[in-house]
Amino acid sequence: MKKTIAVVLMLAVVLAGGGPVLAQQDTLEKIKSTGMLTIGTRTGSPPFAYINKNNEWVGFTIDLVEMLVKPSVEKAVGKSIKIEKKESTPPTRIPLLTSNAVDLIAGTMTDTPQRRESVDFSLTFFYTGAQFLVKKGSAIKSINDIGGKRIAAQQGSTNAKIIREKYPQAQLREFPDQPAAFQALAQGQVDAYTNDGIQLFGLKAKAPSPNDWDVVGDFYSEEPYGMAMRKGDAKFKAAVDAGLKNGFESGKYFEIYDKWFGANGEVPYPMTPQVKAYLLKQVGK
Amino acid sequence: MSYSFKWSVLWSGQSGHWLLQGLLTTLELSALAWLLAVVLGILSGALRTVHFRPLRWLATSYVEFFRNVPLLVWMFFWYFGVPPLLPRGVQDWLFNHGAEFWAGMLALGVYHGARMSEVIRSGIQSIPRTQFEASLAMGLTTFQAYRLIILPVALRLIVPPATNESLNLLKNSSVALTISVAELTFQTRQIETYTAKAIEALTAGTLIYLVLCLSIATIMGRVERRFAIPGLIARVGPAA
Repeated sequence: MKKTIAVVLMLAVVLAGGGPVLAQQDTLEKIKSTGMLTIGTRTGSPPFAYINKNNEWVGFTIDLVEMLVKPSVEKAVGKSIKIEKKESTPPTRIPLLTSNAVDLIAGTMTDTPQRRESVDFSLTFFYTGAQFLVKKGSAIKSINDIGGKRIAAQQGSTNAKIIREKYPQAQLREFPDQPAAFQALAQGQVDAYTNDGIQLFGLKAKAPSPNDWDVVGDFYSEEPYGMAMRKGDAKFKAAVDAGLKNGFESGKYFEIYDKWFGANGEVPYPMTPQVKAYLLKQVGK
Repeated sequence: MSYSFKWSVLWSGQSGHWLLQGLLTTLELSALAWLLAVVLGILSGALRTVHFRPLRWLATSYVEFFRNVPLLVWMFFWYFGVPPLLPRGVQDWLFNHGAEFWAGMLALGVYHGARMSEVIRSGIQSIPRTQFEASLAMGLTTFQAYRLIILPVALRLIVPPATNESLNLLKNSSVALTISVAELTFQTRQIETYTAKAIEALTAGTLIYLVLCLSIATIMGRVERRFAIPGLIARVGPAA
């Protein structure tokens, strides 16, 4: 038994002492030497990042990276680069970043003060708030109706946290990804699925019969989306922000927005003047 | 630009409480699933060795069907696949009363039961056939022979592989987080959500699993020594 304890202690020391080993190299240097920018993104979050019917990995956020961030990073490293995409989910995205497995999280990640202690965020590239997806005709019309009801949320999301803390009378069920949560809603394991409003619109648009579903309730949270990077890498952050800033200023960003969220886009979701003002304020406009 | 560790996230706020809750759920889930697995394992392991062909066939199909499909699929099967077969009222009642936990327990128990069955079958088949024949000659029925002679010996022989299987079961209980069971791994992820400190949370989870498994292994080691059949296996020291 003494031996066992010694082994456990040794392991603990090794893990705790792992700090210096995780010291990171400069991301731009890494991109320059590999010629590759690795992004962590989603496979099931239309229209931000998902696998479409033709089996292509596409989406709004992916376009932002391809058309705005990539040129800016290329300029910073002085050579052309390739984008490599990896799947990242709310529970895995920060570990993927800190372990250098990916360089940039470009999916549907909300910029929060807690997360800012561990990672840096780019400029906000989308703004939404949490709502509920329900079957048409459901008794749930807003967050005031969820008492005693079974509410699905995504594990590790900001919405789950809010429901747990502020609405303990609801029965929270947390699923690792969107398809499982939607399956639970479709089958009646849960009465509503809460997530950022835009994602629910995306899910509804992609559902077999979109008219069976409603997105209800006012935003009960604020969800500004940002791209996340390893903390303290100022040069890389400057390159990513410059790309987005250029997009806002040149109007390219709004073209991409229109492609995905315009009247003929994947998920029609016209930008409100407030959101537009919010986004432009970041670049001093 | 290096990752800064902040171990205090593990005991500040609600983290300690969550870890404890997760640990209890993991233990509860694993203990119930283990009981189910052992019962199913003994039953089907024994049936796979009997003379009567239909029973053997039944047990074999159970084992081959359940051990050859991934556990994750079984989780989804019991949670998403089975409830729609029940009346709507029963479904609602179940969903309001921890259907996730029970679906996870069944998935884990039935899956590991199939694996346990093979362990027990190997134990039974390692017993010389003459013992069974001798039991029948003494006037015991087949059932009595299994219950009084074969199984008690077989169960003592298979403690090491059964320990292995039990540890696997405990660790596999983490798959239940995919159907919203708030067990230990789920809670470590929760700490990560709140604090954005993934490495600390994962380390805590890892150490808890390690300690749990070491304790089980130690206890099973004692059980093995306590119930070893003298003369059957030379455990320590030179054979007499």
